[in-house]
Amino acid sequence: MSKSIFIDTSICTACRACQVACKQWHDLPAETTKNMGSFQNPPDLSFSTYKLVRMTEEMINGRLEWLFFPDQCRHCVDAPCLETAFDETAIYRDPATGAILYTRNTKQLDADEIIGSCPYNIPRKAADGTLGKCDMCNDRVRNGLKPACVTACPTGAMTFGDRDEILASANKRLEKVRQKFPKAMLLDPNEVNVIYLVAFDPKLYSEYAVASADRGGLSRGVALRKMMGPFAKLLKV
Amino acid sequence: MTNHWIDIKNSDCILIMGSNAAENHPISFKYVTQAMDKGAKLINVDPRFTRTSSKADIYTALRSGTDIAFLGGMIKYILDNDLYNKEYTAAYTNAPFIVGKSYGFEDGLFSGYQKNEEGPSLGSYDKSKWAFEMDDKGVPKMDRTLTHEQCVFQLLKTHYKRYDLDTVSKVTGTPKEDLLTVYKTYAATGKRDKAGTIMYAMGWTQHTVGTQNIRTMAMIQLLLGNMGMAGGGVNALRGESNVQGSTDHCLLWHIWPGYLKTPRASNDSLDAYNAKWTPKTNDPLSANWWSNYPKYSVSLLKSFFGEAATPSNQFGYNWLPKVDDNGVYSWFDLFDAMYKEEIKGFFAWGQNPACSGSNASKIRKAMENLDWMVNVNLFDNETGSFWKGPGTDASKIKTEVFMLPAAVSVEKEGSITNSGRWMQWRYQGPKPLGDSRPDGDIIMELGHRIKEAYKTSSGVFKEPIVNLKWDYDTNGVYDPHKAAKEINGYFTRDITIKDKLYKKGTLVPSFAFLQADGSTSSGNWLYCNSYTEKGNMAARRSQKDAANNIGLYPEFAWCWPVNRRIIYNRASVDPKGRPWDEKDWVIKFAGKEVGGKYVSNKWLGDVPDGGWYPLENPDGSKRADAKQPFIMQKHGHGQIFGPGRADGPFPEHYEPLECPVEKNYFSSRMISPTAAVYSTKADSHATCDPRFPFVGTTYRVSEHWQTGLMTRPQEWLMELQPNMFVEMSEELAKLRGIKNGERVNVSSARASVECTAMVTKRFKPFTIGYSTVHQVGIPWHYGWRWPSTGTEESANLLTPPAGDPNTRIPETKAFMVNVTKL
Amino acid sequence: MELNRRDFIKISGATAAGVAVSGLGFDLSQVKSHASMLKTQYAKETTTICCYCAVGCGAIVHTSKRGDGRVINIEGDPDHVINRGSLCSKGSALKQLTENENRLTEPMYRAPYSDKWQTVSWDWALEKITDRVKKTRDMTFEKTNAKGQTVNRTTRIASLGSAAMDNEECWIYQSLMRSLGLVYIEHQARI
Repeated sequence: MSKSIFIDTSICTACRACQVACKQWHDLPAETTKNMGSFQNPPDLSFSTYKLVRMTEEMINGRLEWLFFPDQCRHCVDAPCLETAFDETAIYRDPATGAILYTRNTKQLDADEIIGSCPYNIPRKAADGTLGKCDMCNDRVRNGLKPACVTACPTGAMTFGDRDEILASANKRLEKVRQKFPKAMLLDPNEVNVIYLVAFDPKLYSEYAVASADRGGLSRGVALRKMMGPFAKLLKV
Repeated sequence: MTNHWIDIKNSDCILIMGSNAAENHPISFKYVTQAMDKGAKLINVDPRFTRTSSKADIYTALRSGTDIAFLGGMIKYILDNDLYNKEYTAAYTNAPFIVGKSYGFEDGLFSGYQKNEEGPSLGSYDKSKWAFEMDDKGVPKMDRTLTHEQCVFQLLKTHYKRYDLDTVSKVTGTPKEDLLTVYKTYAATGKRDKAGTIMYAMGWTQHTVGTQNIRTMAMIQLLLGNMGMAGGGVNALRGESNVQGSTDHCLLWHIWPGYLKTPRASNDSLDAYNAKWTPKTNDPLSANWWSNYPKYSVSLLKSFFGEAATPSNQFGYNWLPKVDDNGVYSWFDLFDAMYKEEIKGFFAWGQNPACSGSNASKIRKAMENLDWMVNVNLFDNETGSFWKGPGTDASKIKTEVFMLPAAVSVEKEGSITNSGRWMQWRYQGPKPLGDSRPDGDIIMELGHRIKEAYKTSSGVFKEPIVNLKWDYDTNGVYDPHKAAKEINGYFTRDITIKDKLYKKGTLVPSFAFLQADGSTSSGNWLYCNSYTEKGNMAARRSQKDAANNIGLYPEFAWCWPVNRRIIYNRASVDPKGRPWDEKDWVIKFAGKEVGGKYVSNKWLGDVPDGGWYPLENPDGSKRADAKQPFIMQKHGHGQIFGPGRADGPFPEHYEPLECPVEKNYFSSRMISPTAAVYSTKADSHATCDPRFPFVGTTYRVSEHWQTGLMTRPQEWLMELQPNMFVEMSEELAKLRGIKNGERVNVSSARASVECTAMVTKRFKPFTIGYSTVHQVGIPWHYGWRWPSTGTEESANLLTPPAGDPNTRIPETKAFMVNVTKL
Repeated sequence: MELNRRDFIKISGATAAGVAVSGLGFDLSQVKSHASMLKTQYAKETTTICCYCAVGCGAIVHTSKRGDGRVINIEGDPDHVINRGSLCSKGSALKQLTENENRLTEPMYRAPYSDKWQTVSWDWALEKITDRVKKTRDMTFEKTNAKGQTVNRTTRIASLGSAAMDNEECWIYQSLMRSLGLVYIEHQARI
């Protein structure tokens, strides 16, 4: 059974514990940042920032809303990056957890192609071309712990568990949140293992909150390779 | 906090005002969220829309410094619409008390006012003018029907009559409909089984009316019957991990451990001291807990001086320093004296006044007058290195500075006390880094050396030093357990109490056992019960909840007093001992009843605030063996009328020292007539001055802490909040031609600080009176030492030289600034 | 033939719970983060209470039992009844507060009119501080005030600190300061 994370943005306070807990557990270096006129920092995900709380201010129905979106890899059920890479020494799925994992061998991939294949614009490359992103704290999860970000989350905006249980609780939560925010929705729940609940139009939270139509999918070359590949079916775990 | 963190989940309505809990106490939102999930309403009132506001059902803004106007309007609304809990108000508060005829209030002044020409205090009151009328037995006269024209309730009505929606809105800038929504929603907790809570912090304390901000809310809580209730109370969130403990142990000029008074010069003997500070009541129904004062003061002296404290030397009372009767030695006054070259030596131990004190330029200048300074910290800081700060010339600064490296909390063992009064033990992980040492080791070693110096050479008034009990080490190393036991207290000889023998050298079970004859010691009576013969209570870890299942966790850690998790909990039951709220009950009476009378005494739930019988029997007859619930008050009643405050028995709106308006719509008084305002040439201020047209306020962000000394040298947190910034509305940015993200200057009458402009919808201009008032906000987390660019400076360079008359806490939440492009 | 990982698992019969490193076609040590062993597995585990705000959250500190004996990880204590494992951004950064190259690790001294710090020993520093305290106190001690009342104090030495200290440290600190006769004793609670 795959593991999933549910992120209920309606109760996220953008305390950004998740952002730091991620760096803490992974020993990721800090970026040198500058205040560009927003609380959001770093400005974007990077090779050393796997998790980023995006913050936007919107007037909705005459009321100011400060929207928070803890962005990270969705660990897709069918992961275009994995299929695009078509190299299990570089990108593979842990069968025990469903996590999509990147290795140092991603350095040998066409980084831009992989990034371009992600409908959520998640992977980021290092100077040497190695790709990095959230690994769902696979070491923790395999040892019965929750991912660092979920553990740290104060309000319960992030929960973690088996996919079917998480899906069920997400749907239940959606029902409740809709009493207050009628347009609340889950984002691509059937396609991803990191399921977001948003109270308003997902585009207000992040350009790539939902799978982008003009991103992702597979280029012709990739599709061709996939068709030809002897292990194509094995890629789906 | 009268309640505690977990208890927030039991609330029906949470008002967050004067704090920004989501950002500065993020884990509190675990419980705010749980309460909301069960249907509680979250109200947030703040000049600026914050991360807390983003989660609120109701958010509205007020101009900084107008909280009393806002809340005074709520009192009026509650009274006008009969929304107060009548039974509670009449039975448990001093609303029925009759106030003497000499009380009066006119045009912003209470009776008994006298102007002070010398400063820093602008004036003072003769509080005897506000006294209650006493009956022939010396008990306050009361009218429980609340109709007597001189009763507190009627005076309250009169006082807040002026706080109508129009005036309140004109002063606060809050739209009338928003005021009504907030009032209506919060006042709904006046129902007997509903509880509302207030989460406040420095947004309320840091004003010249800080104490009265909180009093106004406490009065609302009393009127609505929210004190003592689960999900109720008055809850100060507090800013530092052990600021509760350090306050309890009284690292403050005016109090001794356990909130005993620092002796005044006129308290010339222990007897005189105890007589002066032990309150007396003639009301048999008032517990008047402070009548135990001498037991606590003598036990404290026994902890100070051990065997050397004897009845013949008044337990060493005169070895300890006395303050002048009208002297004030607060933070402001300390630096004022230092600035005036009256202080030569200075310990800055685990704090950074060069960035944390209001009007910090004066503080930095004052330190140049010192002969020596000891600075103990984790990191180099703006205080220890003040001699090389911006604008200084080291070659002209004489001060010797000793900078001592302290260990981080995870490198040592000991306890801290959170805002919910929970004392929690923590353990050593790694050893102190490099040659750093735990504060306890440094203090012990320094104490040994000073004692030795006085033992072995001549010195002035050696007695207190050589006699100081100083044995808190084991094998030459500081032992926190020994100190913790001293704080709890020992029997100093074999004594028998209620037929039970307690052996010399054993730990006192609780403060009910403390004695005034020297047979017990206790470093802090409030902590007596924390470390007993049963062990270290603060180290407990039981996950079990109490029978009422409201999240008290009575065997997890320990809380003062005597592990009572919700104080004033006797007010959570009606006079017959039955919970106002049957579902989320705190305590309930479970004694036997025969023929309409209680015949045995038993309480369930939390540790009751005194285990006496309820005030009434089931048949409604009064009991003589009962006590009123507010046991720390002399008269046993919650104080709607507070005659002990320096600035008046009822809160009144006054403008901040620096304000944007030329008129106070409530009276002809602008600033609080008793505020403390300093006046050296380093203490300038400017009100209604076109050079400084905008209201400024300071605050914290989630990612930094206090002056930033424990966050600025950290890359992960600097990544999140790298620069000093100023938040302003889009309207103000347009007015000044400022673009989002560009560097600007923020200046006040005292200094100028460079900031990154954050132009945001989250600030909006206010309409005050008939004009538009802009407000900006700046965090106070920065200082020149970190980051190494030296460009990010402290907001407290801008903040004003004025403080609250009761506490002298500075007015850093409301002052006037200008914002200009670089 | 190059084996992918799935084949590797089939061949070796390894269970999903453990992934061994071997020479079977690709080096799993290259894998960025799927180690089956936690970095905290053999560390000493102690509990602490966060030193930032006053909520009083519990955290678990993992300290290396080998090598330098330093902190490997600090995260929220799931058995703490207040925070139940959660922490804020500051609490989550506790490790970096501790293991921080910017920390002071030696006593330092700045002489009058000097423009620099010099490193000194604890012994030297405490001896000098003792000397300064005693000298200033003895020179400025007031047995009586202007009115002739007994006051037994010095107003020429002041102390600030500290809400960052433990209870026990606060208590012994105030008792030392009060025994010296200080009346200017203040700290963060005043601001």
